[in-house]
Amino acid sequence: MDKNMNKYLKFGLVLFLSVCLVLFTQQVKVWFNGETATPISMMTIYGLIVLWTFSFAGVLFSDVMKKTKVRFLQDFPVLGWVSIVSLIFCLMFDFPIRAIQAVDFLSITTPVLTFAGISVADRLIDLRRTSWRVAIVAVFVFLGTYVGSAILSELGLAIMGG
Amino acid sequence: MKDTKKVVNFALFLIFVLVVIAIAERIGYQSFALGSFKIGLLPLVFAILITMLLGIKLCRKGILKRVYSEFNVNFAGKYLIFIMLPLMARYGADVAPKIREILSVGWVFIIQEIGNLGTVLIGLPIAILIGLKREAIGATLGIGREGELAYISEKYTLDSDEGRGVLSLYIIGTLFGTIIFSILAPLLLGLGFSVEALAMSSGVGSASMMTAASSALVAQVPEKAETIRAYASASQLLTSFLGTYTMVFLAVPLQRFMYNKMMKRGSK
Repeated sequence: MDKNMNKYLKFGLVLFLSVCLVLFTQQVKVWFNGETATPISMMTIYGLIVLWTFSFAGVLFSDVMKKTKVRFLQDFPVLGWVSIVSLIFCLMFDFPIRAIQAVDFLSITTPVLTFAGISVADRLIDLRRTSWRVAIVAVFVFLGTYVGSAILSELGLAIMGG
Repeated sequence: MKDTKKVVNFALFLIFVLVVIAIAERIGYQSFALGSFKIGLLPLVFAILITMLLGIKLCRKGILKRVYSEFNVNFAGKYLIFIMLPLMARYGADVAPKIREILSVGWVFIIQEIGNLGTVLIGLPIAILIGLKREAIGATLGIGREGELAYISEKYTLDSDEGRGVLSLYIIGTLFGTIIFSILAPLLLGLGFSVEALAMSSGVGSASMMTAASSALVAQVPEKAETIRAYASASQLLTSFLGTYTMVFLAVPLQRFMYNKMMKRGSK
């Protein structure tokens, strides 16, 4: 039990760090871009609190689901659970939507990618183990999934529109 | 003594994160022309470029060596997913106001999932063409995220040719996926695809690649920002539900069929 508390305290703190970085980024945007940036208001702060709460709820929910016997639910990623928790609350209430939208979207992304860059730092060496062939294939694989889906979406939307 | 050093290193790491964010935001949104295409790079791309570049062994001296300490890099890796969670929570708020619109074209969202087979359809021929064999199985089954990694390692182990294929793709995707999708999205927009279709297709199964693709689209068509984000995150959510099934029931048989055909023809 103690160990669990510790674990969740850690998660909570990292999530807190995350929303603080978002706030910082939004402030930086205001400094650099002035008028065109999304201003920081009380709503932004509420928005960050809501984001923190949904994230934490998603983590708890994901842990509960891991205890179920259904493989499909066990394997579903925590990232997905957080989106679902947030979606459900945003469908039920209007306030979280307004609060969250006071948080600038791109301000959430920059800290994430900063962390991502640092986290892969030690894996750059792994690149030596990958061949240039797979690197070329990778580009086409990414292109393939994107174009494949885009063609089907385009067709579907055309049928709907026509 | 050792602990104080760790704390100082961690503090340096946090300051470094703030500095990188500030620099990336200072660079801001940069667009340039690539032939007749207009490509735009967002601060998020600069953030990952800067942190990756400074992370190479050559640069790791002095303060940077302390920033990229073993503990800090591990911390970033272990908790990256938690840093990402607020982003995923934000997507719920993007989808909710548009839920009627999304449900009204719901089946298009489901159909486009099948488009993820494009990894096999386009990737596999190219892979065979440039001389890959069993590695191609791992490298083209999907975009090489956790789902494919788990499937391939279960079926072939990671220490097989197939395993090396999927691992390589995983590494390349982790390192360059966001950058590649930041460029692909505007390119396809320039080719004439509608922004709605591209938004719907952005949910490729990796949250950061989806974010990169959809943000790049928003930068180009800002007046449709809400629709783009709602469509992209809805399709990402759908992919996380259906992705495994598309892979196991469609991609795997299709890949086997195509692989055997092409290998037979190649040996004649």
